[in-house]
Amino acid sequence: MGMDRDRRGGESLQPLRRVEFHILLSLATSERHGYGIIQDIAARDETAVPDVGTMYRALARMVENRLIQATARRSAPDAGDERRNYYRITEAGLRVARAEARRLEALTRAARLGGLLTKDAK
Amino acid sequence: MRRDHLLNASERWFRLLERLYPPDFRDEMGNGLVEAYRDRARTALNRGGIVRLATVWVRALVDSVRNGPGERVSPAVSWRRSGNWGRDVELATRRLMRAPMFVVATVGTLAVGLGLFAVVYTVVQKILIEPMPYRDPGDLYYVWRDYGPIFDLKRGWLGGTDIAELQKAGGIIESTVGLRRQLTTFAAREGGDAMEIAAIITSPNLFDVLGVQPALGRGFAANEVGPKRPPVIVLTHELWKRLGADPAILGTLVRLNGTPYTVIGVMPPTSAFVQHASLGSPQRADAFITFDINLAETNPNGGSYAGLTRARRGESAQSVANAVDAVGRTVDARDFRSRGLKLYPVGLKPDLVAPVRPALLVLGFAGVLLVFVLMVNLASVLLARVAQREHEFAVSRALGANTAAVVRATLFEGGLLGLCGGIAAALAAIWGTRTLIGLAPLDLPRREAIAVDWRIAAVIIGLGVLLGLMAAVAPAMWAARSTLASLLASSAVRGGGGHGRMRRVLVVGQVTLCLVLLTTGGLVVRSFERLVRADPGFKAEGILAVRVPIPPQFVPQAPDVLALQERIERAFAAIPGVTGVSATSSVPLTASANQNTIEIPGAPGNTGDRARDSPLVDVIGTRARYVDVMGMRLVAGRTFETVRHEGVREALIDTLLARQFFPAGDPLGAKIPYGQRGAQPLTVVGVVEQARLYDVHQDGRPQLYVRAEDWGYRTLNFVLRTGRDPHGLVADVRSVVRNIDPRLALADLRTMDEVVANALRRQRISAVLISGFAFGALLLAAMGLFGVVSGSVTRRRHELAVRLAVGADHGRLLRLVVAEGAALVATGVLIGAPGIYVAGMLVRGVLVGVSPLDPFTLVAVTLGLGLVAMIACYLPARRVLAIDPAQSLRQE
Repeated sequence: MGMDRDRRGGESLQPLRRVEFHILLSLATSERHGYGIIQDIAARDETAVPDVGTMYRALARMVENRLIQATARRSAPDAGDERRNYYRITEAGLRVARAEARRLEALTRAARLGGLLTKDAK
Repeated sequence: MRRDHLLNASERWFRLLERLYPPDFRDEMGNGLVEAYRDRARTALNRGGIVRLATVWVRALVDSVRNGPGERVSPAVSWRRSGNWGRDVELATRRLMRAPMFVVATVGTLAVGLGLFAVVYTVVQKILIEPMPYRDPGDLYYVWRDYGPIFDLKRGWLGGTDIAELQKAGGIIESTVGLRRQLTTFAAREGGDAMEIAAIITSPNLFDVLGVQPALGRGFAANEVGPKRPPVIVLTHELWKRLGADPAILGTLVRLNGTPYTVIGVMPPTSAFVQHASLGSPQRADAFITFDINLAETNPNGGSYAGLTRARRGESAQSVANAVDAVGRTVDARDFRSRGLKLYPVGLKPDLVAPVRPALLVLGFAGVLLVFVLMVNLASVLLARVAQREHEFAVSRALGANTAAVVRATLFEGGLLGLCGGIAAALAAIWGTRTLIGLAPLDLPRREAIAVDWRIAAVIIGLGVLLGLMAAVAPAMWAARSTLASLLASSAVRGGGGHGRMRRVLVVGQVTLCLVLLTTGGLVVRSFERLVRADPGFKAEGILAVRVPIPPQFVPQAPDVLALQERIERAFAAIPGVTGVSATSSVPLTASANQNTIEIPGAPGNTGDRARDSPLVDVIGTRARYVDVMGMRLVAGRTFETVRHEGVREALIDTLLARQFFPAGDPLGAKIPYGQRGAQPLTVVGVVEQARLYDVHQDGRPQLYVRAEDWGYRTLNFVLRTGRDPHGLVADVRSVVRNIDPRLALADLRTMDEVVANALRRQRISAVLISGFAFGALLLAAMGLFGVVSGSVTRRRHELAVRLAVGADHGRLLRLVVAEGAALVATGVLIGAPGIYVAGMLVRGVLVGVSPLDPFTLVAVTLGLGLVAMIACYLPARRVLAIDPAQSLRQE
């Protein structure tokens, strides 16, 4: 994690940490509150579910980097209608997520060419 | 029920764990963090009961232990990485950007105030503090003669013999040069346009003594002096530029009074040299030539040279004074029969700045006061801003926001405003200094060096930041103290929160400072007004003066000079519109005259005390009708008439001499021995009041007027009186002289009104600057009062409405509110009273005809301040008239 940070200095935000990419993925479809993001990640990949603290630190970082932004506090139907902070992906966040997806795709392609993946192992 | 209990217990656990995270993170993300845990806990409880919930608790503990300290060690967000200042910068900047009018007003006020201060600071720094552009300038001294008991001249020119003696002295006195400034007619080539320049005649080692070398060519060689010296000249950079800045000028011939001189060098632009005078202001130089005489062989009795000495490096002023004094004793014994002549050195810089020092110190004092006023003003403005956010602070503090953040934000806001103000002020000062130099008297010492440089700009910007930070301290302290409890308490009582009290303290401070500044300004302005109204002893309006030197090289014979002067005078008189023409050797208020001691044997006022009976007088040669043309006052007898009385050398004495020598009797007809031994004495034909030569407001040395025709003055200042604007005569005057002899140069062509204005320019600048400071302070104080009273009306609306409801009328309320403001003003005035005294003592040195505790000024200033303050209170207080008790109380 510490090494990650050094590489992320300056303009380039890539590569994203895993938790950050998952957050972007979750927010790409709709605005969500914190626990909603966790649930969405769990639905996608149970092993990738971050600890709450880890996720909120990532959220703070991503708000600061303007990848996402906090929206107005409003009641959350999936949290007993309690009011929650919602997050929304920004244009920049979307661009970064796409770039990360392309990077992963290229890696996957390379892995396949290198014989690490067979077609049906997908 | 049990489920809710468990969830609440979980929340308490999560809140406990949240404390592992740093406070900033908690402020921003804490709620979300806890809520997400609660959501997770609720889900766990729903799905797997208390066991799953316990797992969530444990995982939350592990998570918090890992991420909480982790966030502390390496914060996720950049502002936390760069410390809290980063965020404060961003927040404060954003807050300021949301209030552009406030920023513009505040920065504008700072720019004007600090800009004024910067101008004064630049002048003081450049004149009083910065070293002069010579090598080791601290070791340079001018040496003057103090005639002590011989006659009343404390600062006289040296004799050439004194300089020769100083040059021989050795030891501490390393080297000495003599200087004599001579206005000469200069032509770049034979028959070229004539102009008058100031040539410094000096010893060949002048440039070595100063430690500056010509930028082009060379200086004088050691042997280029004395009766057989080659005619060589070194030009100043300015004269060289006026001549076209041609480097090929070296080796060419120029003409001084018709005599050819070879140009051997041009000085660099930085070495602008002024020659100090025994009386009057230092004088600029245009060119340098060397003595064509041997100083040691000159007449020791008369003084006509300035002596500039370089002392051995690092010698103390006292040891230099001792060494010069020793030389003085030799001179006294040899040339003055030990009657008590003294020589004394004055450091180059003290000698230069002594006359302007008191004025600059007063300006500096006013400038510092102004900075304080600005600071107090900024503090109250910031306090008002902080007060607007009172709720925000109190609530966020109640929610656990840390005090340091609030203090930091306020400090930063002040600092940022100060920074912007400082930068704007530095820019304003660059322009302001140029303007001031435009207004400044030509002889303001070191005028060419006065400009804002980067160091001064840095000091001003730094001062702006410091001022902003210091102004923010009070509001920051207050903001740090404001709590929900205090807010609620103050809104319940409606008596005003802590900031109200602090603002009132600040306003009292403003009034105090303002009073002191206004008094200073009032005194200086009143003194200036006295000067402007002073009667210099002549009527300046409608007079044009012009100097026409007639060098012996053009007109060798004295009778021809006289004839030429007659011709010029007649031609001037023939110019249409001219009602009177005369001429004088010394234009009033220019401090230029020859001095001589006179005696009036047999006069009733003689005391037998030789020193008292032979006073030093200014001898002024004039042509006929001078007294009439200048509008001087004739007290007794007659003036010089156009028709000369053969066999009589006429003289006029001034009232000082008349009173001294003829306290009761009639001076007319008295004889004054004058000129060479055995020569025909002067006959007093009239008594006049002085046309003052030095100061506008007081008589100088006694004056003796002689007929110019009797004494062969070669350089006369013609004065032309007209009923119209004298500027209209300029073209005619020029063409008249050109027609008579094109080689003649005209110099100092100006109206007497300009001469008077020039003599008062230094005081005028002081008066303008100080009154500017004072009015600025008054305005700021009025704004402060307005704010306080206006805020007080808003705050006390409820109370006032209650008063109205129980029977008070609006007029009574108005008085109540205004009285609150008046109490602040009165307090400020009381505190300021000792300040007035101190300020009065400080400015005493520059006051003319006004006591530092002048009752008129003090009363006028206090009343004026009171009036403005009352208006500043009354305007916002009028809002109480609009209070409708029924409506106001219903709102509560």
